[in-house]
Amino acid sequence: MGDKSTPLLAVLQLLRKYNLKGTEDILRKEANLGDVEYENLDLPEVELANILTAHHTESDPYSYEFAYDSLKKFVENSLDVYKYELSTLLYPVFVHMYLILILYDHNEHAIKILEKFGPEQDEYYQDDLKRLCAVKNKDQVKGNELAEIYSSNKFQVQLSRDASTQLKRYLHEQKSSPIIINIIKNHIQIDVCDGPGRSHAQVKSTLGGLLGEASRNENRTKVYYGLLKEPDLQILPAQIEDEEEAEETPDKPKKKKAKKDNIFMKKPKSDPNAPPNDRIPLPDLKENDKVEKGKALREAAKRVQLGPECLPSICFYTLLNSGHTAICADICDDSTLLAVGFNNSTIKVWTLTTVRLRGMKSADKLQDIDREAVRLWSLQCWTCIVVYRGHVWPVWDTRWSPHGHYFASGGHDRIARLWATDHHQPLRIFAGHLSDIDCIQFHPNSNYIATGSSDRTVRLWDCLTGTQVRIMTGHRSTPFTLAFSACGRWLASGGGAGEIQIWDLSSGLPSAAIPPASNSPIHALAFSRDGTILASGSLDSTIKLWDFAIISDENINEENGNAAPTQKEDKFLLRSYATKNSPIKSLHFTRRNLLLAVGSYDGSV
Amino acid sequence: MSDSELGYGSSFTVDSVKVIAESVGIGNLVDDAAKELADDVSYRLKIIVQDAMKFMQHSKRQKLSITDIDHALKVQNIEPQYGFIQPDSLPFRFASGGGRELHFIEEKDIDLSEILSAPPPKIPLDVSLRAHWLSVDGVQPTVPENPPPLSKEAQKLESVDPITKLSKPANKDAAGKPVCGKAARLKASESVHVKQLATHELSVEQQLYYKEITEACVGSDEGRRAEALQSLACDPGLHEMLPRMCTFISEGVKVNVVQNNLALLIYLMRMVKAMLDNQSLYLEKYLHELIPSVSTCIVARQLCMRPEVDNHWALRDFAARLMAQICKTFNTSTNNLQTRVTRLFSKALQCPSQTNNESGPSMVPSMKESEKTPLASLYGAVQGLAELGPEVVKVFILSRVRWLGERVEGALSGIGGADRLAAGNLKHQLLKVLAPVVRAHRQPPDLPDDYKREYGYLGPSLQQMVSKLRSSPTGGNAGGAVAVVTCTPPLLPSPSPAPGPSLAPAPAPAPSPSPASVTIQHTSQAHAKTIESVASRNVVITSSAPQSPAPSTPPPQKFVIVSSQQKNQTQPASSAGHIVMHSSQPTIVRSQNSVVVTSGPAGAAPPQKVVVVGVPPPAHQPHQPHQPHQPTAGVSQAPVSVVAKPVFARSGSAQQPPPELDDLSHLA
Repeated sequence: MGDKSTPLLAVLQLLRKYNLKGTEDILRKEANLGDVEYENLDLPEVELANILTAHHTESDPYSYEFAYDSLKKFVENSLDVYKYELSTLLYPVFVHMYLILILYDHNEHAIKILEKFGPEQDEYYQDDLKRLCAVKNKDQVKGNELAEIYSSNKFQVQLSRDASTQLKRYLHEQKSSPIIINIIKNHIQIDVCDGPGRSHAQVKSTLGGLLGEASRNENRTKVYYGLLKEPDLQILPAQIEDEEEAEETPDKPKKKKAKKDNIFMKKPKSDPNAPPNDRIPLPDLKENDKVEKGKALREAAKRVQLGPECLPSICFYTLLNSGHTAICADICDDSTLLAVGFNNSTIKVWTLTTVRLRGMKSADKLQDIDREAVRLWSLQCWTCIVVYRGHVWPVWDTRWSPHGHYFASGGHDRIARLWATDHHQPLRIFAGHLSDIDCIQFHPNSNYIATGSSDRTVRLWDCLTGTQVRIMTGHRSTPFTLAFSACGRWLASGGGAGEIQIWDLSSGLPSAAIPPASNSPIHALAFSRDGTILASGSLDSTIKLWDFAIISDENINEENGNAAPTQKEDKFLLRSYATKNSPIKSLHFTRRNLLLAVGSYDGSV
Repeated sequence: MSDSELGYGSSFTVDSVKVIAESVGIGNLVDDAAKELADDVSYRLKIIVQDAMKFMQHSKRQKLSITDIDHALKVQNIEPQYGFIQPDSLPFRFASGGGRELHFIEEKDIDLSEILSAPPPKIPLDVSLRAHWLSVDGVQPTVPENPPPLSKEAQKLESVDPITKLSKPANKDAAGKPVCGKAARLKASESVHVKQLATHELSVEQQLYYKEITEACVGSDEGRRAEALQSLACDPGLHEMLPRMCTFISEGVKVNVVQNNLALLIYLMRMVKAMLDNQSLYLEKYLHELIPSVSTCIVARQLCMRPEVDNHWALRDFAARLMAQICKTFNTSTNNLQTRVTRLFSKALQCPSQTNNESGPSMVPSMKESEKTPLASLYGAVQGLAELGPEVVKVFILSRVRWLGERVEGALSGIGGADRLAAGNLKHQLLKVLAPVVRAHRQPPDLPDDYKREYGYLGPSLQQMVSKLRSSPTGGNAGGAVAVVTCTPPLLPSPSPAPGPSLAPAPAPAPSPSPASVTIQHTSQAHAKTIESVASRNVVITSSAPQSPAPSTPPPQKFVIVSSQQKNQTQPASSAGHIVMHSSQPTIVRSQNSVVVTSGPAGAAPPQKVVVVGVPPPAHQPHQPHQPHQPTAGVSQAPVSVVAKPVFARSGSAQQPPPELDDLSHLA
């Protein structure tokens, strides 16, 4: 039946959609369609439109190749000012050509076009292409994660006004072969912005998302990235902020990276970028919390000031005999406990001080690999207190708010959830990612949550409204770890290909990209408590220290900040430390700025 | 499917599907059906693997494991496949035939009763946590937990091409070296600083470490020695001290051979062994110092005070094993190390008639003088060759067995007690070494007469040995290598040097005492460093004993005090309490008595300290003035440190044997 039936089926589905029974019956009879095909009518909505608009060209699979060639020539021959912006069109057009050809059963042509033009697509798209090419006939399009993402969402492309005029003129000339016009109309969202065309570097810095760049409009909301005002422990003991409830003394401290800064930097009392302290309700401080906090502040007073001239000491904890069983690790904020999650869903907690753990039972904690629920464990009685259900698929990452009480989780179901310890149900559901959420992180002021996803975007969500306030593209691979700078303005994310991106939350633009030193994914990032050093740990068993003062300075200087200073990465790197075959699982700066690192020895390598 | 698809993923072939269908009992699968199946299965497998990759990435691994696949199946709501547990990668086997290729997993039948009756497996070790300093104030300490600061490749590069070190002065990426102290100050002042090609500065800590290690290694405390050797064998970051260590060893051997101090020689060889075992060291650069020292300990004429009592054979065996290990580790097609070493040993086995013609002028007087190579040296040479494998034994020892037999016979019938003992040992050793080779080499009828005719004096004993070997069932599986190992008890729990057949060199380069093999004696300047010193040292050993390290031109402030208080056969110098102090300043040389601090008169009972300081060049023989002065290859380039290095040599008198001499238990 092949070619013919697809558009007919599409028409039938349309008729049924609008409940035009009579016509539908006549058409069925006339087309001689069997019941089987008829029952299977559920083409995706967007495909439907595409089929109906494009079906007259479908007869000529050869024209696709020519069309792509001519588009490529058009891009190559255009002026440099437009060239780079226009070249971002090539990949989405190519992908949709492939999908359309598959959909029309021109499988050989689809494969041919993939082989001809696939290798010349940008490097960071190759993984997607490899996944996409598993789809070899139209039954597989439905149900394939990637193909569905492409066909049900529009690819975002940013063009300057001039470039889009050029494009329109070109499309006008191509009237005779409407393939590209249709694809652009149906699958590509062109975001026209005023101003001059962007340079190569500018374009490159934001490319790489699964669905292209973030559109500018999405990042207009104001983000209060400043830190919360420090409650004065002496004078206003009953004030706001920061608490954990008695039962969740678990990850006790996680708190206030932020707070100490006040002591040292004497910030102006009112930071215009700081959210009001009561923007989201935080539980009151309890007596023992105040004691904890006082301790933390005293500790912080002894902090070592770090800088390029004064590098931190690193204490490395090696997990021996763990093989591949150890998966994740975390160190609590006051650096007394280390928790390691294993692949048999157990969690072991070690004390890093001489204080013995009370009644050491094998304790299990939050994140594990095949968990479909989040569990809350108490470190005081060593039992699981609450199981939070809601996630349907594995949870990849969870994180406490620095002020306690709230925690967030994200996983395979592409949804991030905000929980509070006193509710069974999530308080907020953050939906929007197109693929798994691989990492999640609380902003130091607890008002925002950042998530990184396999769709190669990093998004920032507002805990108060539950909306997405920033979408940041530019990662070339899945981000696996996120870290907020101590001042709250910068967000660092480490990718699966070893690159590190620094984002400016005020604009949502990438402010620096540190190219990968090796192909191994970055699995841990940590900012020093004074915000001068960024430490990264990767699967290739190295810990690298970066001079964050330079990175942030530079971006403050060139305020528009979207030109990634790629050639300067040497300047950023302070030092690299290799371990003995021990991939880094976690990094943590103590309050005194000693860097603790956890890795598991992998003797087999 | 077409092979053009390889660029973007591959699929199951129709053939594979048919094979799989056959394996589940579907004999006649139609092509079309197979193709449909192949496409569908490929697609589904790819999806599952793509999902499994996510689990792999979140487990922070780079290897896909079976559990990842299980998890991926669970996510898709499919029952996972139970029973597939493989800790490592799947051992794929490959077979082809009839134009078809097949990859398969080998599955062995498991006998359940065997498992039930077997002792329970060891409980896996629990996960434990261990902390160490990865960096202290930005400096990575060189502790065993950290990777070596300079990888072996980097050390090699540095030795091959020292310029690289200059071209990238502050390589912060690789080493994590401190940019503090002097370097930082220099950097700060931005002065133009031309770096020395090789820096020989040691930090105070390194100097202390060097002092501790060397003292412990040659000291009398066995516990400390074990610790020091352990440190030498395991610690990373020793490369900066390597030149000094090697010099220490080579000087120590030189002095103690003259002293006949067996215990110290053993300790020094154990140091060599430890350094060879250290994975992080690039020793190639220092072979020219180590090989002569080791070969000295194998073939030296005399290694101990009382050859008739002391077990210097153990030292020779041990050193021979070291030499085999060196050859095995460092032999390349460019340095031809094994060939040279083989040549060195085989030359010692030549009958005088041959050597007379071929050896250099330097050899002639000594050969004339002592008539023949001493039996102990013969023993060493035999042992050295035996460790290199049965092929070497066959080519170099078997061909000379007749002459060796004559020597043994002569010595056994002679009067000298020591000679007799040596001849007995040599004979024993020869039989042990040769029997397996002969056994593999000859056909069964072992007639004593044939053996006698072919192998001379040793023939009958050899015949007995061989027939004994043939009759014993255990000897049937391997050649000479096994026999060699069994007859010499392992001296140290070390990776067995048992030279397998693979170790046997191609005997081609010097299958017989051809003239070429002797040119080694005349080390021409064109020769590589290693061979030069091998040869020159060899002269020291085989010729009559050198008087003492002769003065030369070491850098200022270096001097050597050698004490030798006992006369021995090989030392023509008859003066007792022979103390020589050498220095570059002639005035000090003359005033040796003023420096005689530690030496006692002849026969003084208490063991005395002999201080060896600095680096004398390889001794040139006073009685061989015509020997071309070797440019002292290794030694002069070795850094001559200001740090005095005491060597504690115990030269006891005959009445009071030094305690360690017979204490070879640590070697056993």
